[in-house]
Amino acid sequence: MIAQIWQYVLAGIAAGAIYALIAAGFVLIYQVTGMINFAQGEFAMIGAMTASALATGGMPVFEASAIAVVAASAAGALCYLLAIRPARAATGVTLIFITLGLDVALRGLGLLVWGTNPLSLPAFTGGASVNVLGGVLSPQTLWVLLTDVLVFAALYLFFRHTYAGTAVRAAVANPPIASTFGIPLRTFAFWSFVAAAAIGGLGGVVVAPITSATYDMGLTLGLAGFVAAVLGGLDSLPGALVGGFVLGIIEKLAGGLISTGWEQGVGFLILVLVLVLRPQGLLGRAVRRA
Amino acid sequence: MSRVPQAGYGPIALGLVLIVVLLVWVLPSYYTGLLTQIGLYALVTIGLNLFMGYAGQVSLGQAAFVGIGAYTSAALAVKGHVTPWLGMIAGALVAALVAYVLSFIALRLRENLLALATLALGIVINVVFNEWEFIGGSSGFKDIPGFAIGTFAFDQRAYAVLAWALVALGIWFAGNVVRSTFGRTLIAISAGELGAQALAVDSDRLKRQTFVLSAVYAGVAGAVYASSFSYIDPTSFSFLLSVNFVLMSVIGGIRSLWGAVIGAAVVVALGQILQNVVPIVLPSARGDFQQFFLGVILIAMLILLPRGITSRLGEART
Amino acid sequence: MSAIAAATTTLEVRGVTMRFGGVVAVDDVTFSARTAEVLGVMGPNGAGKTTLFNVISGVQRPTSGEVTLGAARLTGRRVEDVAALGVTRTFQTPVMFWGLTVRESVEVALAAREFGGTYPPAPWRELVRCGFGTAGRRREDTALRERADTILAGAGIAAMADRATESLAFGEERLLELARALAASPAVLLLDEPLSGLNPDEIEAVLASIRAARASGVAVLLVEHAVGELLAVADRVVVLDHGRKIAEGTPQAVAVDPLVIDAYIGDALE
Repeated sequence: MIAQIWQYVLAGIAAGAIYALIAAGFVLIYQVTGMINFAQGEFAMIGAMTASALATGGMPVFEASAIAVVAASAAGALCYLLAIRPARAATGVTLIFITLGLDVALRGLGLLVWGTNPLSLPAFTGGASVNVLGGVLSPQTLWVLLTDVLVFAALYLFFRHTYAGTAVRAAVANPPIASTFGIPLRTFAFWSFVAAAAIGGLGGVVVAPITSATYDMGLTLGLAGFVAAVLGGLDSLPGALVGGFVLGIIEKLAGGLISTGWEQGVGFLILVLVLVLRPQGLLGRAVRRA
Repeated sequence: MSRVPQAGYGPIALGLVLIVVLLVWVLPSYYTGLLTQIGLYALVTIGLNLFMGYAGQVSLGQAAFVGIGAYTSAALAVKGHVTPWLGMIAGALVAALVAYVLSFIALRLRENLLALATLALGIVINVVFNEWEFIGGSSGFKDIPGFAIGTFAFDQRAYAVLAWALVALGIWFAGNVVRSTFGRTLIAISAGELGAQALAVDSDRLKRQTFVLSAVYAGVAGAVYASSFSYIDPTSFSFLLSVNFVLMSVIGGIRSLWGAVIGAAVVVALGQILQNVVPIVLPSARGDFQQFFLGVILIAMLILLPRGITSRLGEART
Repeated sequence: MSAIAAATTTLEVRGVTMRFGGVVAVDDVTFSARTAEVLGVMGPNGAGKTTLFNVISGVQRPTSGEVTLGAARLTGRRVEDVAALGVTRTFQTPVMFWGLTVRESVEVALAAREFGGTYPPAPWRELVRCGFGTAGRRREDTALRERADTILAGAGIAAMADRATESLAFGEERLLELARALAASPAVLLLDEPLSGLNPDEIEAVLASIRAARASGVAVLLVEHAVGELLAVADRVVVLDHGRKIAEGTPQAVAVDPLVIDAYIGDALE
């Protein structure tokens, strides 16, 4: 029994690792623009599908992955320029609807380009699963965890130890200050979209070998990542990390101990509880009145 | 001239039903099926517009209420041999009850958080559909009994007429609400909630009642859908359907009742056209790819024409 | 004008303190406002006047202290329930109901008064009656419309009745907000800087409405930066500074009170 539960926990860690990446994208955009970007998951889909399509066509995995991340970033940039920036004056709900429209459109685009068939991406490294205290983790999962470490470390370093990052934090806390940097707030918003898309795309690439790539993976990933972000605290990057793993573990435990259907559902129950009882999440401060 | 419309919803709606009756005698059954679909979607969207456009709230989970109506009616019909006529009423009541209970959780939240909460609740309800064996679990219900009047069992044409009769009824009722004191206080709380509260308007109660009303519309539509299609499963009532309702609402005009009908018609018709035309140009296209165009249209509308199509048709009063 | 105003109910503010984190916005303030009087509330910027209004109207719950109207306790109630008990207010920036006409805005104010308590009156019954368009409901709506017209005429803004509230100039918004507040037949009327941004004609119109309200028994609490006008129309004045009440009395007495002068000049020097 314990061994079972431990395996569920490990599975949860594996899932949580990817949720953390998606959640990071949500938090990034929310922190800089105050907006909830429902299309976040689709960046992962774009990354996964592009990499898989290229690899299936013969390109080496790492090259395909690099191009895929660039493609996802470009998608992020386009989304911002075409859909978000033109809607400057919109109220909070309109922006949500716009990102919903982006989510729908990007998924439809995936269907147009790649159809409904799943594509696969070879694992980065071969080899047998790794034994962890009696449970197993696949090598690709280790790659996902490594990506987590790298991405979150990079984000931490950027925001705490670079001039640009400090400028972003200041501008977010006090928007009029942005002008003293000579950079309009829109530019921060633009780059937050690009960065969130890149991270999302990267997430899609590293998870594709595990789950294979389908046009609708963005929806499930996006929703899960977004629950993780709210759970951790929409204004907290460390919260995205924590929220991702907590959600992943609870999901897999629910899935194993109750039923697979509740694996999906428990996350949303948690979301409702968080929204009602503690909207700022585990690590967030006050909820921003968007 | 009042800005809340004095338009005669009743007569126009009746005219619409007559048109539908004419159409179903002429059109092939495939198109009759589409008419039914548009009608049922429009019914849901009318309720949604009351909640989003007039009360100024957000719901990303309306499909769940449609599902509740459908499952209630189907379960009663299949397991209890209850006629779908009663099932329709039961479906509406159960949906209303669930909406009532959930409103205490969700309606305390504002804007973004309300959107998230309704999204989450909608998905949780969908999971319940999927997990509850009594109502079929992931297999759903099949061979759901259809409507009947005496010995006449409804065929596709009859369902189309029923759907649009309900739309007419729905618009008539909603139109009365919108033009009454209730409607005016709804607009007041959506425009300046605190100001309205300072005039002793109970915004919580108004929002709750509107939410429940929107669930009634959705529940009725769900019940009719269940019988007309004779098969339902959880995938019919997913988050994607909820998003589609929002699409219809925005495209037609969120604070417009005719807009709900127009939005539903546009989304369904456009979907059909795209499904047939695009694969000629792009053979790799599969599945629901028309969503790409609908998503783009939604974004374009929100940026360029936030009040929807009806605001351009000189119905700015609606 | 209203049954509530006819009785001599008093608004009592007792020991109200409002603390936000480390800041004390209102500090142990006590005073009362009587039927048919205009009570001016004065004080330099940041004195806590609007916070005081927020506490009285139920927008914020005080850290300590209480507010009563006659026998009824106001503190701890929701905004709409306080309003239903007879306390109406206007805001520093007028709250307009975009999407409604001027007349319809007044009808909203009349709606709750019509049934007593808050609107909607009895759960579901109102929605059902409105939805089915019952004859009785429609008669009531027509009556509301007529009463709204009467009120607009009384306020001198009958010409605006069909205009969309989005199209109103700032001064017109103020006049509408005041007409709306009076339409609710309050026992207590809280006016938050109703004169700012108005031209002389509009100022006269507002002052006339205030006097008329007083004559019909309303207790008017008036926050206003235009000290001259405030002293001219008020029966009594309460002065706040840094959240504390520093003076209370007739306008004449307060105008020469050294503490008051000090507070204002001190503020000017800062």
